[in-house]
Amino acid sequence: MKISYNWLSEYVAHELSPEGLAHALTMSGLEVEDMLHLGPSLDGIFVGRVESVRPHPNADRLRLCDIDLGTDELIPIVCGAPNVAADQRVPVATIGTRLVMGEKVLKIKKSKIRGQVSMGMICAEDELGLSDDHSGIMVLSETAVIGESLLDYLLREGQEVNDTVLDVAITPNRADAISHIGIARDVSALQNVPLKRPKVTIPSDGGETIQHIKVDIQCPDLCHRYVAMIVTGVKIGPSPIWLKRRLEAIGLRSINNVVDATNFVMYECGQPLHAFDYDRIARQRITVRESVEGEEFTTLDGKKHTLNEGVILICDGERPVAIGGIMGGENSEVDDATSNVLIEGAWFCPSRTRRSAKALGIATDASYRFERGVDTASQPWATAHVAALIAELGGGSVTPGIVDVHPQPPATTKLNLRLARVPKILGIQIPCKDILRILGSLGFDPYEAGDVISCTVPTYRPDIHLEIDLIEEIARIYGFDQIKESRSVPLPASVPVTRPIDLMRERVHAYLNGHGFREIYTNSLLPDEQAMQFSQAVIEAAYPPVRTLNAVSRSMATLRPSLLPGMLNAMQHNTHHGQRTLRFYEFGHVFHLSEHEATFIENYSEYEVLLFGVSGPIRPQSWDGSIPLADFFDIKGDVEKLLSILNLDSLSMEPSFEPTKITAHHITLRANKKWVGTIARLSDEMQAANDLPDPVFFATFNWTRLALMCEEQPATVYTPVPRYPVVERDIAIVVDSQQPVGPMINKVRKAGQPLLKSTDIFDVYKGKGIAPDKKSVAFSLRFGANRTLRDKEIDHIVQKIVSSLSAQFDAELRA
Amino acid sequence: METNLEYLKKATASFTEEIAAAKLDTSAKSEEFRIRFLGQRRGVIPQLFKTIPHLPKQDRRSAGLLLNALRKKAQTALESAIEQHRVTTTNTRDIDLTLPGRHSQWAGSRHPITLALAKITDIFEHMGFAVAEGPEIEDDWHNFTALNFPADHPARDMQDTLFIEEPGEGRAGAMMRTHTSPVQIRTMVAGEPPFRLIAPGRVFRNEAITYKSYCLFHQVEGLVVDDGVTMVDLKHTLSNFARAFFGNDVKMRFRPSFFPFTEPSGEVDIWWNLPDHPKGGRWMEILGSGMVHPNVLEAVGIDSERYTGYAFGMGIERPAMLRYGIDDIRIFYENDSRFLAQF
Repeated sequence: MKISYNWLSEYVAHELSPEGLAHALTMSGLEVEDMLHLGPSLDGIFVGRVESVRPHPNADRLRLCDIDLGTDELIPIVCGAPNVAADQRVPVATIGTRLVMGEKVLKIKKSKIRGQVSMGMICAEDELGLSDDHSGIMVLSETAVIGESLLDYLLREGQEVNDTVLDVAITPNRADAISHIGIARDVSALQNVPLKRPKVTIPSDGGETIQHIKVDIQCPDLCHRYVAMIVTGVKIGPSPIWLKRRLEAIGLRSINNVVDATNFVMYECGQPLHAFDYDRIARQRITVRESVEGEEFTTLDGKKHTLNEGVILICDGERPVAIGGIMGGENSEVDDATSNVLIEGAWFCPSRTRRSAKALGIATDASYRFERGVDTASQPWATAHVAALIAELGGGSVTPGIVDVHPQPPATTKLNLRLARVPKILGIQIPCKDILRILGSLGFDPYEAGDVISCTVPTYRPDIHLEIDLIEEIARIYGFDQIKESRSVPLPASVPVTRPIDLMRERVHAYLNGHGFREIYTNSLLPDEQAMQFSQAVIEAAYPPVRTLNAVSRSMATLRPSLLPGMLNAMQHNTHHGQRTLRFYEFGHVFHLSEHEATFIENYSEYEVLLFGVSGPIRPQSWDGSIPLADFFDIKGDVEKLLSILNLDSLSMEPSFEPTKITAHHITLRANKKWVGTIARLSDEMQAANDLPDPVFFATFNWTRLALMCEEQPATVYTPVPRYPVVERDIAIVVDSQQPVGPMINKVRKAGQPLLKSTDIFDVYKGKGIAPDKKSVAFSLRFGANRTLRDKEIDHIVQKIVSSLSAQFDAELRA
Repeated sequence: METNLEYLKKATASFTEEIAAAKLDTSAKSEEFRIRFLGQRRGVIPQLFKTIPHLPKQDRRSAGLLLNALRKKAQTALESAIEQHRVTTTNTRDIDLTLPGRHSQWAGSRHPITLALAKITDIFEHMGFAVAEGPEIEDDWHNFTALNFPADHPARDMQDTLFIEEPGEGRAGAMMRTHTSPVQIRTMVAGEPPFRLIAPGRVFRNEAITYKSYCLFHQVEGLVVDDGVTMVDLKHTLSNFARAFFGNDVKMRFRPSFFPFTEPSGEVDIWWNLPDHPKGGRWMEILGSGMVHPNVLEAVGIDSERYTGYAFGMGIERPAMLRYGIDDIRIFYENDSRFLAQF
């Protein structure tokens, strides 16, 4: 909310500059986000005395003046104003000053006017931006001190020349601070000076007013108080300059004297007020009730609304005339023809106002205040204040009396503050007298009763319910700066241990970074079509994706069921920017609708995924060889190495040649029959759709599940390192060319137990020397034991391996 | 392949000649030699060894001796050649040391948000904080109600929420978490004080994407609950953090604010120098904090008379942008290699 420094200063006699005020407010919980200085710049304008006036030799209407600016020499100035005379004190614009007059800027220079030197300018009020007066130069009073700045003089004279607007961020709890008086109250507490509220005479209840308007509240829970007053014979017209200045300073547009008066009082004390054209109120009645479903109403901005049930309506004897707390109606609006005004000052329920305003899509100054909670007792004061103001500005007369319907006065809240609780929360001792002073100046009416301070919560503080609320009030006024850091802090009772998942994530980062992968962060929100496409893929379980209800845009409507679309976007972006090598990875959450596999929230499955992918050359270009493009075995190799780093070598890998929309071929990784990951080549259609030149290979894992498996592993126990030499043997096997090698490796490992320590494939060969429908697969075998192995044993076990291969795969030893 | 001893003898003789004649004056020639004679796959000597099992039993021993001798010759020739090269290489200028090194891989990189997060986590881990995580889809109770956000209260407007499911019969409603604070609730529900943890994670706001806002960002939440925890401890922890993250000479201020789940609440600003700014810089808010509200402790069944605590939360993107001089938040999610390669 914008606050005018000058306006605020009417309510509290503080001694703060605008900057000082901004700092004090910020440091007590009302953050000043911006400051703007308003009004003319009077830099370079000083008070001078006219020493002498002589006619100009070459111009009848010009005079030559000598001006005393308190310096050693008199300054010659040529002046054309008719009222200049010796001994006057006048404002003088000195050389270098820039005078802003409307859109023009006048820069004061040393000049010659008709042959006579002029070293400045004696100014009229309009030239200084102080008023529209151009009848002659401005003549100052005798109190003006020669040589002082004009600004100092004007301020001393009590003239308002400049203003500063502070943009204050009001937190949702501070309903009391959405007005100048509300903020002035904090300033009074901070500066320890009294708050000055304007004197307003509140008429006694009833009187003549009661004969002209009847008020009936049918929903006292939603509107516990409704105050009405009438001003007759008002002439609608423009507001005076002082009122315009106040409103324009805080960014409001002046409309007419009646509307401006209601806005002025609202920004003064925080109570929203509404002015009806009294003559358009049927049967002199006001009824406050809840709307019924489907009721229609046109607000004063000309918009027609169909209402839900439960909107607070202000009705006259025939129809609704306003939406309570939100906006008045077109049918009862004050216009130029209005002469009798009915003023409403009411209290409306915060949560109902908020719900209705949201449903209607209307946010007004009034609804903003009612939603947060308006003072439950300010209605008579504010209504009487605005009635008097309207009468003054519009030349009308206030009908004596007031209608004050108040069926359910809210109970006052009493709160006790235990003095011992304050240091328990704040960690510092605040003297009791300071606590009493702070609570007193904020209106809590505190008194000390032993260890307890008893408080009454003021009606303008709907946010204060608990002792902790009082402690916060004390802390923010006493000052967070008073809370000093301790020199040391106690050691926590237990030392936290880094979670296994974080340690493993760190190992994966390290591996992937070392192998040229760059980490990416992609959006969790996808277009719905894309989410559908990727949730139906074989990649993971095919559950429906999770849609949002209020997406900002269609391109961010649905939660990602997979990280793959994000990575493909990143690959596409980089391809379009000339990058051929694409090696990326991401850790991130994915989401599905699933009753069976719900994780934290019923019906929703959410888990963390690790995805990495490659496309393009597998190594940087070098000077001694060409670089092949990545293929399936590059990504598979990375997966195998990663799993080995994580000690998860026992996953089953099931190849599949069934193409899907997403993949050309893939391997599914399972642990205990549960999906943990997929290694795949992207389908050609997908590759083309993403405009990627080279084949794309990726691996994706349910990282949550993988991490859990790692966590469940028993701690490593050292196996003694064998001290006996390893024996190596190579065998080459000829099998059918369609025979997959994977099962053969498993067979070799099994048959070679327990002496076979490891095996590798070092050659797969088709061609010369091998029958056309056959291939040769060469294994290197390494044997070892905790003793020296004899050739015979090795021969025996090699023989066993060969024969088990020939039994199962129809294999022959290559000659 | 023939498999008799005579053949082996002939072959050995011819290979011995060849070995003796070989001129191994360059590394390339030595390598060629190694592959030809000793290569595991196609090397002639290993190939000959493989014939031994097929010889008549009585010949095998002599064949073995023969071939071992041949292998020895080849190995000796190779080793002395390699030794020779080493000597010549170190003494010769026949190598261009200015050629670029051979790169088996590119340099990978971590995302700047991961790096900033790691730095923040590291600082708090040094101060004895454990790490916890929670889901990104939350229900109303964890995200709002248990954190003392009343229904229909403007405090809920502080965080523009992306909803998944309206609350309905027997259903709590689902939304994308608007902050990492629900992790506080999950942790406290599951355990007993003392608590001392941070919770990093991704959070969502239903906002249009611009240079300064994105529909999601990352936060780190902190929570401490124990006997005798006060605002002095909070201020101490936050000051230590700011000094560790931004440097010992960081200028900071701690001012009152409002969050429904803490009271008193405060925000920390740090002074950021901006040479072009009329005031030479400005205050930047980096985190929100406060003493855990008694309603929050009671909601999770902790005695708020006995225990007190503090909580804080900070965005990752903003300090990362300050640290790295980034002026457009969208670049974090564009994943341009030329950007990523800088970290």
